Amino acid sequence: MTFLSPDQIEQLLWGLRTTVFLFAASWVLSFTVALILVTVRAANIAPLRWAVDIFVAYHRNVPLLVHVLFWYFAVPEVLPEPIRFWLYDHGAEFSLAAIALGLGSSAYVSEDIRSGLRAIPHTQFEAATALGCGYIQSMRYIIVPQALRISLPPLIGRALLLFKNTSVAMAIGVAELTYQTREIENETFQTFTVFGIATVLYLMGTFLITAFGSWLNARVSVSNGRRA
Amino acid sequence: MMKNKWNILAFALPLALAAVPAKADLLDDVKSRGQLVCGTLGTSQPFSFQDDSRQLVGYDVDICKLVADKIGVKVEYKLLSVAARIPELNGGRVDIVAANLGWSPDRAGQIDFSHKYYVTPQKLLVLDSSDIQTIEDLKGKRIGATKGSSSEREIKNRLPDSRVIGYADSPATFLSLQQRKVDAQFASELVLVRLVNESPEGRPTRILEKAVMEEPWGLGVRKGEGAFLAAVNEALDEAEKSGEAEKLFNKWFGPDTAYKLKRSFVIEPLPAS
Repeated sequence: MTFLSPDQIEQLLWGLRTTVFLFAASWVLSFTVALILVTVRAANIAPLRWAVDIFVAYHRNVPLLVHVLFWYFAVPEVLPEPIRFWLYDHGAEFSLAAIALGLGSSAYVSEDIRSGLRAIPHTQFEAATALGCGYIQSMRYIIVPQALRISLPPLIGRALLLFKNTSVAMAIGVAELTYQTREIENETFQTFTVFGIATVLYLMGTFLITAFGSWLNARVSVSNGRRA
Repeated sequence: MMKNKWNILAFALPLALAAVPAKADLLDDVKSRGQLVCGTLGTSQPFSFQDDSRQLVGYDVDICKLVADKIGVKVEYKLLSVAARIPELNGGRVDIVAANLGWSPDRAGQIDFSHKYYVTPQKLLVLDSSDIQTIEDLKGKRIGATKGSSSEREIKNRLPDSRVIGYADSPATFLSLQQRKVDAQFASELVLVRLVNESPEGRPTRILEKAVMEEPWGLGVRKGEGAFLAAVNEALDEAEKSGEAEKLFNKWFGPDTAYKLKRSFVIEPLPAS
């Protein structure tokens, strides 16, 4: 058995870098969109609620790969030509993949946050009002901190899924970790070595996310009714 | 990083070793079994695909049959995906692989290649309306290729300023070319000939005459099976001498086919690794 050359190791690390950037970009987008979705839904206006429901249903029922292909092959076609070609010249693969991944994930994230909100008994809100808090203050200091705390474990799970799902972007030529792995495998036929290394790199990424999640969880967790 | 690298390899090593079976001489094994198990893609026209009666046919399929006939055994086909070719071969689940295996020194470090039995020119496809005429015109442009089909590194070496984007398959790459996401598509001549014929009416395409590179293909055999490899090569050489090999080429690529290619190679040894 032979080993990978320094060039190939470097190629894998570049892939890892792209994976991390793609994850970061799509996560920020997905969390932002999810917060908007939750807020819009909480406004409790029927047409808006339906719109959010349709958005969530669509993104949860269509495979991620289809989203990515849709955003890459279909969406740019309706853009005006100058914008389209500017996009192609400036890394359309990466940005469109980030949008597709971010939106796909936002549907799940918004449901996680919403279930956190629903877990807070209405009496908490009433108690806050009795103590003299307005709507914004009750949400800011009483409801949302508890809701986010409850949603934290599923949100960490979503982040892990998103991190691994970035590999789908390979289909439209984003040179992320799996793309580079396949590339080196194809060049050298050292299937086990290169996939073994990629597995370890992915594990390192997911381990960091999990560790960060545990740290955050410990920080915000409640023991005996007090913040630890 | 250096230290990390060795840790990682320590993890990968047992995986790789587990894939190497302990077997006696493969040639004896094949003969006593009376059967040669040949791995082929099954989705690669005209090399290995299902015809209208769902029969597996193609150039690769016929080459395997030819080798099995010369050894004097029956042939059995096993369909493989591109990524599974090497693990299946090195894991001993197939005896020989006929599956678009382009020769390169790196690859020859992992498996043995038979004598070359096919050579594919790798060319570039552009929109007919574009002003690209030569390979050099593509300096600094975007070039689409199918992931795993051919050496992306080769085109990166030829055109270091260009960006190569690897797509999942050739239809996706072709769509990107049609949508002008890429300025050219890099693929084997056979694939490109078919795409030119299938181009939509409003958007014809053309192939740049000069090949970027020629990729010789061999049959893949596990390392350390010298007697078996020699028997395979002997079979191929015999077929070349008797004209059978040329007949097979014409059957799949010749004047009566959609490709109308001239045979520009003979079966002969690939460079030693």
